[in-house]
Amino acid sequence: MDRDWNDSQPIYRQIRDRVVAMILDGVLKEGDALPSVRNVAVEYRVNPLTVLKAYQGLVDEQFVESRRGLGMFVKAGAKNLLLRGEREKFLEQEWPRISETIERLGLKPEELLNGSSRRSPAKSSKTTKEER
Amino acid sequence: MKSLRFALPFVLLALSTAALAQSDAQKSFDAMKALAGTWQGHATLDPPNPQMGGDSDTRVSMRVTSRGNAIVHEMGELDPAQDPTKHDHPVTMLYLDEGRLLLTHYCDAGNRPRMAGKLSADGKTIDFDFLDVAGNTQYGHMQHARFTIVDDNHHVEEWTFLMPGDKLMRGRIDLQRIK
Repeated sequence: MDRDWNDSQPIYRQIRDRVVAMILDGVLKEGDALPSVRNVAVEYRVNPLTVLKAYQGLVDEQFVESRRGLGMFVKAGAKNLLLRGEREKFLEQEWPRISETIERLGLKPEELLNGSSRRSPAKSSKTTKEER
Repeated sequence: MKSLRFALPFVLLALSTAALAQSDAQKSFDAMKALAGTWQGHATLDPPNPQMGGDSDTRVSMRVTSRGNAIVHEMGELDPAQDPTKHDHPVTMLYLDEGRLLLTHYCDAGNRPRMAGKLSADGKTIDFDFLDVAGNTQYGHMQHARFTIVDDNHHVEEWTFLMPGDKLMRGRIDLQRIK
């Protein structure tokens, strides 16, 4: 997890989002243990109540579960649940804006597909370096 | 004249009740001022969830400021190298206002809930009940606080946070004075 926090969300929410991203990226797999509240609090120098808030949120959202005497674990089916939620969020919140831009620019499906295939990983990393 | 004579006891009763309430607020404020110092303790969920491994140390600093008119309560690392503008460092101000002990919590969730304190009959616990909140509450807000004074060197803080979806989460910190 990154140690830097942004100003747009409270820290507990950013911890929650980072755990979610780790599950989606496969860094944390279903059945994997989450680091303890103590470890996260010490390593990232945040208040343990903040970490507890983040973990409680993840439990409430059914992405992680506590196992008696063992710790907190990524729940079976968490990735699918997350993907479903993230897809819905994308289609409801981001897609309308993107779709409007595509329409405004008159882009055709084949142009979009060609455009995305042009973005090879090597080129992307080069671009990022240049942008820096 | 007759009606004035009839109303006088009620006026006196109302005034004495107000004075009593004010003295309770003052008593609570004085009790909170006695907590000035640096504290360290374990933070846990209440009820505890040992699976989270939440028995983690945290620090609280309390100091009396503004010529005795306010108390600053700061939670988190007290390392001067850690910039509170970027790190987790919630601040709470306590002050008297019209015969009440009020608390304003400056949350990193971007809001400022106000709570009013009520002293328990034994004078050891001050419960702060939610009054109102200013700012963005999209990510929840602090809803309740309780300070229990065990002795000069030990007190317990319980903070209840209202999560999005109206679910309450209570954290408890058992604090020992270190300064």
